[in-house]
Amino acid sequence: MKKLNKMIFISILVSIGLALSVLESAIPLPIAMPGARLGLSNMVVLVTLIVFGFKDGIRVSVLKSTVLMLITGSISSFIYSLSGAILSSIMMYIAFRFFSRVFSLIGVSIIGALSHNFAQVSVASAMMNNLRIYTYLPFLMLMSLFTGYFVGLTSIYIVKNLKRNFRTLFER
Amino acid sequence: MIFLTKGDKLLIVIVIILSFSSMGYIKLMALSDAEKYVSVQVNGEEIKRILFDSKLIGTTIPVKTQYGYNLIEIGDEKVRVIEADCPDKIDVKQGYISKIGETIVCLPNKMVIEIKGLDNDTEIDIINR
Repeated sequence: MKKLNKMIFISILVSIGLALSVLESAIPLPIAMPGARLGLSNMVVLVTLIVFGFKDGIRVSVLKSTVLMLITGSISSFIYSLSGAILSSIMMYIAFRFFSRVFSLIGVSIIGALSHNFAQVSVASAMMNNLRIYTYLPFLMLMSLFTGYFVGLTSIYIVKNLKRNFRTLFER
Repeated sequence: MIFLTKGDKLLIVIVIILSFSSMGYIKLMALSDAEKYVSVQVNGEEIKRILFDSKLIGTTIPVKTQYGYNLIEIGDEKVRVIEADCPDKIDVKQGYISKIGETIVCLPNKMVIEIKGLDNDTEIDIINR
């Protein structure tokens, strides 16, 4: 694939992720839990990781959280989402690259959601100088099972169709 | 469940077990170190500060001041007044208090017993926006 094509494709992916992030804040969760999100934009990062590889996956996730900060204007949530995005991209890539025989994309996405939560809680506890925030982690972990499952399921379909429709693009 | 491999199922089960067990552990920890103390105030000044301790269960503490006499008994994470020289003995009748913010007041003797939290008395620790 040409460099320009790739750049355009990645910027489209970033904007899809941004749109999903904005959209998901409008979807109410059945349980009131601060910090718990659907993580729809994680779908985009996962697809990028699989289709384009590690470098572009990190690029998309960092760009996405940076521009999302410009949209929402919330600095503290930017720090959380940036740390979560970086750690979850790394973990998802490791899981996909080396353990794809063990885990399907659902498992990879659950691992991503778990590490996203872990990074967020760690950063929050460092920022507030309070280790007790970790007591919130088990609840977030349970939530991330559900969100991770659906994100993974969706990513399976996306990757399947993307590969079929853009076959010429991905033959490297 | 569609598309789930054995590894996925194992991962899900491990996460569920891990989170539930740590929830239980946290609950246990939170019960054992409830950081609160008894503050005995007379005429608005704190004269005694008693931390709850399992060794202290059953001990009685006399509070004798110029305003009157009360005998406080410390229980298991709770406290009550068992003797008082005031006429109505409302403080004795009130029984045990145990939660942060609860008070026993003996108006004739100008005595207030309050349970306080060690770190801070407010419900909210921090607000993050």
